[in-house]
Amino acid sequence: MKRKSYHTKPTTEAEFKGPNYWRSLDELQGAPEFQEWVDQEFAEGASDLSAPDRRNFLKIMAASFGLAGVGMTGCRMPERRIYPYSKQPEYIIPGVATYYSTSMPFGRENIPLVVETHQARPTKVEGNPSYTLNGGGTNLFAQVSILDLYDPDRARKHHDSKGNFLSSKDVEAILAEKASNFKDTGGSGLAVLAEPSSSPTRARLVKAFKAAFPKAIWAEYEAVDFSNSSKSASKLLQQPSRPVLRLEKAKRILSFDSDFSGFDVHGTANARAFASGRRIKSAKEATKMSRLYAVESNLSLTGANADHRLRLASTNIPAFVNLVASHILVDIKAPDGFSKEQQKWAEKCADDLKSKKKQSLIVAGSNLSVEVHSIVYAMNEKLGANSSTVDYVAATEVSESESIQSLASKLNKQSIETLFILGGNPIYNAPGSAQWSIAQSKAKEIIRLGYAEDETSSSKGKKPTFIVQSHYLESWGDGRTWDGTYVPVQPMLEPLFQGFSDIEVLAHLTSDPKTNGNDLVKSTFAKLTGNSSSRAFSKWLSEGVLSKSEYKQISGSTGDSPSNKDFSPRVTTLSIENLELRFVPSSHTWDGRYANNGWAQECPHPITKVTWDNPILISAKLAEELEDVIPEAWRMSDKVFGQSLNQLVRRTNEFNRGREIAPIAEITVDGQTIKGPLHVQPGIADYTLILPLGHGRTKAGRVGEGTGHDFNPIRRSSDSSAISGATIRLTGDTYKLANTQEHWSMEGRAIVREATAEEYSKHPEFTSTLGMESHSPKLYPKIKDVNTGKWREMTEAEKVKHVPRGNSAYHPPNFTEIEKKSERLELLIPGRTSRDGLFDDDPDNDEVTQTYHQQWGMVVDFNTCIGCNACVVACQSENNIPVVGKDQVLRGREMHWMRIDRYFSNNAYREDGKPDKMEIPDDVQVSFHSMMCQQCDKAPCESVCPVNATVQDEQGLNTMAYNRCIGTRYCANNCPYKVRRFNFLDYNKRQEGHFYEGPLGPSGVNELHQMQKNPDVSVRMRGVMEKCTFCVQRIQEAKINHKAKNKGSGDVLVPDGTIQTACQQSCPTDAITFGDILDEKSKVSELKSSDRNYAVLGYLDTRPRTSYLSKIRNPNPEMPNAYLQPFTRKEYESRNGHGGEHGNNEDSHGASHDEDSIHKN
Amino acid sequence: MANIFSRSSNWAPIKIIIGIFFLATVVTSAVTYYATPKYLRVGYQPQQPVPFDHSWHAGKDGLGLDCRFCHNNVTKSEHSNVPPTSTCMSCHSVIKSNSPKLAPVRESLQSGEPIEWVKVHKTPDYVYFNHSAHVNRGVSCVECHGRVDEMQTVRHDKSHSMAFCLDCHRNPQDHVRPIEHVFDLGWQPASGSATPKEQKQAQRELGAELVADWKIQPPKSCFGCHR
Repeated sequence: MKRKSYHTKPTTEAEFKGPNYWRSLDELQGAPEFQEWVDQEFAEGASDLSAPDRRNFLKIMAASFGLAGVGMTGCRMPERRIYPYSKQPEYIIPGVATYYSTSMPFGRENIPLVVETHQARPTKVEGNPSYTLNGGGTNLFAQVSILDLYDPDRARKHHDSKGNFLSSKDVEAILAEKASNFKDTGGSGLAVLAEPSSSPTRARLVKAFKAAFPKAIWAEYEAVDFSNSSKSASKLLQQPSRPVLRLEKAKRILSFDSDFSGFDVHGTANARAFASGRRIKSAKEATKMSRLYAVESNLSLTGANADHRLRLASTNIPAFVNLVASHILVDIKAPDGFSKEQQKWAEKCADDLKSKKKQSLIVAGSNLSVEVHSIVYAMNEKLGANSSTVDYVAATEVSESESIQSLASKLNKQSIETLFILGGNPIYNAPGSAQWSIAQSKAKEIIRLGYAEDETSSSKGKKPTFIVQSHYLESWGDGRTWDGTYVPVQPMLEPLFQGFSDIEVLAHLTSDPKTNGNDLVKSTFAKLTGNSSSRAFSKWLSEGVLSKSEYKQISGSTGDSPSNKDFSPRVTTLSIENLELRFVPSSHTWDGRYANNGWAQECPHPITKVTWDNPILISAKLAEELEDVIPEAWRMSDKVFGQSLNQLVRRTNEFNRGREIAPIAEITVDGQTIKGPLHVQPGIADYTLILPLGHGRTKAGRVGEGTGHDFNPIRRSSDSSAISGATIRLTGDTYKLANTQEHWSMEGRAIVREATAEEYSKHPEFTSTLGMESHSPKLYPKIKDVNTGKWREMTEAEKVKHVPRGNSAYHPPNFTEIEKKSERLELLIPGRTSRDGLFDDDPDNDEVTQTYHQQWGMVVDFNTCIGCNACVVACQSENNIPVVGKDQVLRGREMHWMRIDRYFSNNAYREDGKPDKMEIPDDVQVSFHSMMCQQCDKAPCESVCPVNATVQDEQGLNTMAYNRCIGTRYCANNCPYKVRRFNFLDYNKRQEGHFYEGPLGPSGVNELHQMQKNPDVSVRMRGVMEKCTFCVQRIQEAKINHKAKNKGSGDVLVPDGTIQTACQQSCPTDAITFGDILDEKSKVSELKSSDRNYAVLGYLDTRPRTSYLSKIRNPNPEMPNAYLQPFTRKEYESRNGHGGEHGNNEDSHGASHDEDSIHKN
Repeated sequence: MANIFSRSSNWAPIKIIIGIFFLATVVTSAVTYYATPKYLRVGYQPQQPVPFDHSWHAGKDGLGLDCRFCHNNVTKSEHSNVPPTSTCMSCHSVIKSNSPKLAPVRESLQSGEPIEWVKVHKTPDYVYFNHSAHVNRGVSCVECHGRVDEMQTVRHDKSHSMAFCLDCHRNPQDHVRPIEHVFDLGWQPASGSATPKEQKQAQRELGAELVADWKIQPPKSCFGCHR
């Protein structure tokens, strides 16, 4: 039977006109497949049984029932055992989590962390709040790193080149032998290739290594290298130094191809600082918020949050830097070749930067050349940014190293006896120009310290002697954050597989008397602090940071004129014949190191929302031009193609399942060719191809193999990331992409509410004038104040206490306070009766029940949310959410409890004032929207559950009892937010790839994997619905701990701030706030009373406990691409009946949307 | 044509219906009774590897040790820990140091291998019972475990079904007692000479006072125990 659709059609129905947010190109185009998709309860295909068809399924079931009869013998209770410790270890209490501070080495910086362990088993990574620059936030990679510890495919045994297993003692003997052999030759014939590190201990050992083996080669290499900013600063200041951004002080920021708040170095701290400049408490502060300009080729997270964004090919950005510099510095000539609008953009932007002296900042991306950085530094000096919005610090301990290219050429030329490869995976991710696999096989002997048997350790040529590397959570070490703060790397458990860390290997190699990681770090600590007491060391470990250990600021100046005046880059004209390639690190696997990590692979890309893959991103303009070269096989008739490639491929009838079928293209540059699927992405520079690295690994393990495509072969070096001169050809093949972007569309209502800073300061109430609820009768009645006798709006606390029964068959919990009923009758207003649930009906019951002590609620601030996805993985890690695999995501069955929706909006209108949907825009504004269970007070899911498995509890949580759930999925059907997730298969019990085999397939997940599970959260089985619980395990733990602390007393209220949900904890920008709504002084109550506070789909009267603060943009009216209203808002207005008045006419924005016009509607 | 069925067969359908009804009643009541924790669990009294005598160690007529002497984490953790071997040996290295019954204990301390105690009380994996939440709020051990201080071998005394939990969560005043008496399993709210009815009344009065003073609101919704 065809299901009847109650969804409003986006364009045709006049009675409901929502704002025009669109989440995918197909939605924008109103593709019929999309509409069909929307009509489905789940993503299409999600609820279909596939693999074995129905007939086979019944056969198997019949057989299973038959067998069940035979096996029904075990009706007795199984005997279970308790295994107490023989000797009680210190600090371990079974059932109580222990937290240790540590830090994660990540390229040239360490990220300070606190790790939750359950009986020495690390389960969850959190940011260390003692490091105030991160404020307890982390990035996505720190969150996923814990799963790598339990990677079932990690290397388990040392072995020699012939594959014979070695013991740890053997490994130590080999290292000692090498040390003594090369001692005599001074290290000639010895080469080491290592990953860069921020560790002072390693720097010390490298120094010792160079002293012991002066003729040896020490090379360092990282696939994604962010060192150009430091190199340039070091050159200018004539000492090893690096810039540290102080974005919290910046009012005007200009970013050149930089993702400073995302993937660039120090990203977490930068994001936090940037958000602090964007956070506004009231309308009075609105115009004080910072303004961000971005010039970039890729749509990065930073660019997505910019107020003004200019798409420009990376190749032309150096010239554009010069263009801006010509307005700021003397002696710089503006380059020719930019359009009028681009010139005006640069001029007005420069003017704005100059207007805020000492409060403006220019940031250049790490992929730009050293010369570009030096011009940017000169501009910053001129703008007074130095020592204000940017500090240059002396980065000591940076050891001199050779590049991988020079090591490769030396390997080819001279004879290298022994090559050590410490970590990394150069055969996979060295740039193609290094020709590393040939060079590596020239070495007579290779000794590899590696985490897994990957490409490098199993190359076809010479097999290396393999030493198992330990994970950072099981080894001693140290490191520095980007600003130089000294942090420890502390093990949580003994190495699972007797691994070595890189400092231990180096210590053996340099014949250091101490070879144990702990001793090595202790002596470095003693040297650095001059304090060798174990007490100081313990204090450092417990705090996780050494206070005041950051690098010293350099007083010298970079000079306000560029050192190289001859540097005058030209504007290159790009075209379909001369494309630019821009390499970016993968949001899933970084440089490939997290390729075997299911969480990382399944977390949607923040912009494209593609999982498990790295499609090549192209602009809509390029896609349109590519249409002319469409292979004939795809054509069905002459003129049937839509505007986009995505649309085009759909017409081949392959795209009938709600999944994206992307065409595969061949990219050729310098005679080398790579292949990859194309994804049309608004916001990309016209002729730039974005190539994310880190996928297409051939030997990564069970998760990482066969995902995505490898683009490393056509890279030239690891620090510059854009090359031009590429050509593209469509092969005629297609490829499935598991894209979550179309899933759970909300069909364009006032979801993300936006205004400009100017409008907000003039009309602070704008948020409440948007959306259907502003046009409907009031959802909450006015009440008569018991004290003053005046009618007033309900407070947030009163709102959560008075929950009407709605359509539920069950009574909601009674939240009312112990008070005289007669007094409370004052609260009633005409038209509302007690049947609405404000009071129970029993007239004899004079004093009704008590209020539950605390009522939980959450607020997410869209002005500070940057869409980084750290919360999504933090939630997955905390709540035992399974990884389902690409095949299941293609069926729309991903299990993330929390998702970040990303909406695009553009400024194209037809003559009649309606949004123009025919063109796919390239210049878009991006709005992020985090969505998880809203914990409705009047939850639609509750009233349809036939078994009462989901009900509201006394603290306002929408509970989910897995044991009661029978899997009807009615709740998910009725949830307007689409936040419920169903276990279609036994994701937790069956191994990936064997989901459909049921009991016939291999049972049980890997033992290592199980060790990660959080013991405080149930692991769900097939047939059960699940969803965000507000981290109820943390709430209960905090409540119990508080009561245990204050036993025998009435002090039962958990203080504000004690409970942090997993998403809130990981958020680097503090966009998420959680707390008690009844407490008027709590932070969450404060935010809920903000004039920007609103509920998504509030007009449904679901009364969600999660609310949002509207987004404020801060455009510069002088700019050529200035906007008087955010694009989303303009679309909303134009579709909401106001469009005729001011949808076209930008001059009358905002102000015309006053109270009067609303009441007329 | 002769009748195939005799006259008595007219009653057959009714007999069958009554028979099925009777059978269904018996089966339903049997399952309801025998498949509940009351039948499955109560009375479970497995043999332990070491015949540890609670009535001697904790009982009035024996040593009278406090529960927390061994189960020391009960006030801090969701688990009430079974003590490590070293706790046993802190006394038994001196007392009865050669007893053959204690051989597994000495072995365990030497080898580092745990003593394999048999689990008596088992909450299902989806139930998050927390000991510290109860003993710190005036719920005594005896409420769920019975008079362990009188048991030679520990037996499962109460049913631990969900109804059992909810009974107390709905009427906390019938069960809470002053903090100082939580580990005193034999404590009575009224004097020893009072009748059970009087005891019950005294408990209810005292309990109601404590519930009000300590603002006790036991969770009655799912998330209290299941998450």
